[in-house]
Amino acid sequence: MSLETLLLYFFAAASLAGGVLMLIARHPMRVALALISSMISLAGIYAILGVHVIAVFQVLIYVGAVMVFMVYVIMLLDVRDPSFLERYGRAVVPSVAVAALLAVALGAAVSGGDIMSAERLAAMHQGGRSGASFEVQPFSVEFLERYWLHFELTSVLLLAAVVAAIAVIKAGRRHHG
Amino acid sequence: MNLLTLIVVLPLTGFLLNGLLGPRLGKSFVTVVGCGLPVLAFLATIRAFGQLDGAAGLALVESAYTWAVVGDFSFDIAFYFDRLSALMTLIVTGVGSLIHIYSTGYMKDDPSYARYFAYLNLFLFFMLLLVLGRSLLVCFVGWEGVGLASYLLIGFWFEDPAKAAAGKKAFITNRVGDAGFLLGMFLIYYALGTLDFDAVNAAFQGPVPPAVSASLVGVLLFIGATGKSAQIPLHVWLPDAMAGPTPVSALIHAATMVTAGVYLVARLNGLYLVAPEASQLIAGIGVATAFFAATIAVVQTDIKKVLAYSTISQLGFMFLALGVGAYGVAVFHVYTHAFFKACLFLGAGSVIHALGGEQDIRKMGGLARRIPVTFVTFAVATAAIAGLPPLAGFFSKDEILWYAFASERGGSPLLWAVASVTALLTAFYMFRLLILTFLTPSRMDHETEHHVHESPWSMTSVLVVLAVLSAIGGFFHVYLFLEPVMPLPETAHALEHLEWPLIILAVVIGLAGLAAAVYVYRGGLDRAERLERRFPGLHRLLSGKYYIDELYEAVLGRPLHWISERVFLGLGDRRLIDGSLHGLASLAQRAAGRLSSVETGQLQQYLWLALMGIVALLAWMWRHG
Amino acid sequence: MDRTQLLLTLSIALFALGLVGVMIRRNALVMLMCMELMLNGVILSLVTFAERSAMLSGAVLVFLVFVVAAAEIAIAIPIVLLLARRRRTLDVGAWSELRG
Repeated sequence: MSLETLLLYFFAAASLAGGVLMLIARHPMRVALALISSMISLAGIYAILGVHVIAVFQVLIYVGAVMVFMVYVIMLLDVRDPSFLERYGRAVVPSVAVAALLAVALGAAVSGGDIMSAERLAAMHQGGRSGASFEVQPFSVEFLERYWLHFELTSVLLLAAVVAAIAVIKAGRRHHG
Repeated sequence: MNLLTLIVVLPLTGFLLNGLLGPRLGKSFVTVVGCGLPVLAFLATIRAFGQLDGAAGLALVESAYTWAVVGDFSFDIAFYFDRLSALMTLIVTGVGSLIHIYSTGYMKDDPSYARYFAYLNLFLFFMLLLVLGRSLLVCFVGWEGVGLASYLLIGFWFEDPAKAAAGKKAFITNRVGDAGFLLGMFLIYYALGTLDFDAVNAAFQGPVPPAVSASLVGVLLFIGATGKSAQIPLHVWLPDAMAGPTPVSALIHAATMVTAGVYLVARLNGLYLVAPEASQLIAGIGVATAFFAATIAVVQTDIKKVLAYSTISQLGFMFLALGVGAYGVAVFHVYTHAFFKACLFLGAGSVIHALGGEQDIRKMGGLARRIPVTFVTFAVATAAIAGLPPLAGFFSKDEILWYAFASERGGSPLLWAVASVTALLTAFYMFRLLILTFLTPSRMDHETEHHVHESPWSMTSVLVVLAVLSAIGGFFHVYLFLEPVMPLPETAHALEHLEWPLIILAVVIGLAGLAAAVYVYRGGLDRAERLERRFPGLHRLLSGKYYIDELYEAVLGRPLHWISERVFLGLGDRRLIDGSLHGLASLAQRAAGRLSSVETGQLQQYLWLALMGIVALLAWMWRHG
Repeated sequence: MDRTQLLLTLSIALFALGLVGVMIRRNALVMLMCMELMLNGVILSLVTFAERSAMLSGAVLVFLVFVVAAAEIAIAIPIVLLLARRRRTLDVGAWSELRG
């Protein structure tokens, strides 16, 4: 077994562990930390796969922005409320059951061998360009050359998100005088 | 040739006119229509009678209307006029018209004058359907119809619940008998495929006996007759029926409706001639009823009730005659009985009218001088019913006694003996009635005594006519007139020499009854009360009418009521029907309650449900492709 | 199992775990975080396929998904905050008024 595979298994286990810890932890801060560790493990997996640019963005954007925001909010609020004392909702077993069912269903769909068969790959490669490396430079060139419109649209999306956030806060403030 | 239809339709027109327009057009209109139309019907009957004689004994048949066609059988409304129906129709329209005329005086002050005449005409219509009908079906329509008219008229003053109850009792008791009639009719139709009287008689007299027991049919039809003609065990309604106006009692419960049973058996003589068991039963019940009713009449104190039990008793005599095969003689007694019984009832009505409503004979007496016409006519009719010669009753009753004794078709000395004792009792209680009402010193209270007056001529003229008919009617020997239609039975040759001695014995019996009544009731009620104290138990039994009504109530009335209440109402109606409805409603409610438990307001549950849906969808898609 | 299958299985597992978390935890913020876990699971599968097929457009798509996730969280959290302020608790059970 190569180092690569070992690391892969390790990071996979780590992200699973993080996911499970999320379900078990009582304090939301601990949940957030579990999620962060899960995300970092995923970044590790991306790195092993060779998709370095995505790995970096995972840590930068997801952990660095999204989770930090989440941590801020958790620190802001009083967490000692009924949801702290009683972690779980009403129907634990049925939820687990149905999620397991879904997992099984999806797993069965995936485990057929032809998900990424050679023919499919060949068919896909008829289309766009296939670059072998996921380095930053090829990535950005591809991005801004071919997908510049999507790039501009994301800035519009982010602007919309900012406006929406302000509007929500304003509406809340109007309510509470 | 539409004469028969005309006879039937005239009273029907009277019913419609009086019923719909009567109240608005006033008493004179109602009187003219209500009395005029039956008189016209009587005249039409005489005309038809004339035609009959000319047709050399063949019956007149008229088909009025085809009622229904079922398969290859058609039910017609057809009328049949032979000597028997002619006689019955003459009695019905003749005596009926007289009673209508009497009613104009009796019911003069009644507010529902128009309704009364409408019902009376309706009765006449149905009675004519009964006697003129060619088939058992038309006869049955008339049969039911007279029951209806009887109910309406008995309960005429329906605001009094007791009178309304009497009407109900009559109708329901009749219905019980009608069940037998219907069953008999069904059997006849099933075996012969026809319901026409002439066809039925011919079939039973013919060479090939029909595929049904004549005795069975005979008994079933007789059950219907016991209901209509108040024989044991369905006699209980007739005494109660006295709650109706007196002319109604005279017409329906003396002269015509109650004789329908006799008519039915006489009409189907072809059937009964080959049904010896049924005939024996008829004779037995007839004579038993006659005796039984006579014993009750001896202790009755209401003037109309005495006459009611007397009617039951005389009907028993008629059935006795039918039972021994002397059909013509029975019809002869119907004819004479119509005259004297109607005269007696109308006379009683005159007495009640004179006394301002009093009906208890213990409170009467000394009326002979005050209301002489009523007295004389009543006396003539009483003598007729007691069988004193040469009045009508003597002839008819005597023939019955003779055939009861000597008929080859079931006569026996036992029947004759019981009938003779009954005749003795009849004479006794009828003269008792006459004496106590008219001849003893007055026991009236002063108020009533001042009020006593003779009835108006509209009433007394009818009484006179009926009294005259009671006197001379017997000379027209109906049974000989009917011989072509209903042959008289053979009499035992060995006994024929006893005929005249028996006649004399019958006269002696009648006089003995008269003497006994005079002896007991001469000075009033004293002697009778002493006798009563000597035999208290017997007196109680007779006054209580042998407690038959109480027996019926206990054996039939209460259990039926219990079943109705507990089983049908409690179980059937409340639990089953209401219960199932309520059950459905509560089922819907409970189901709604359970189903609404899906909407908990819990966000995560909704998510769970959505997920289940997705899983199911995935699974299905995976299975199918 | 080979790499692809392992990663896809991991992706399904993360997705399922996130799903369970959303359904059973009562704290609103924790629910949001579990939804992020689900999203991560899906992104993992996207990355797996992109790497396998060696197409850069896959990576671009992943980037776009990151942007959307960020925008989404930026709005979701204020909404949750306002809701929590209304009922003075983060418990989602406080918002169920239907009796059922």
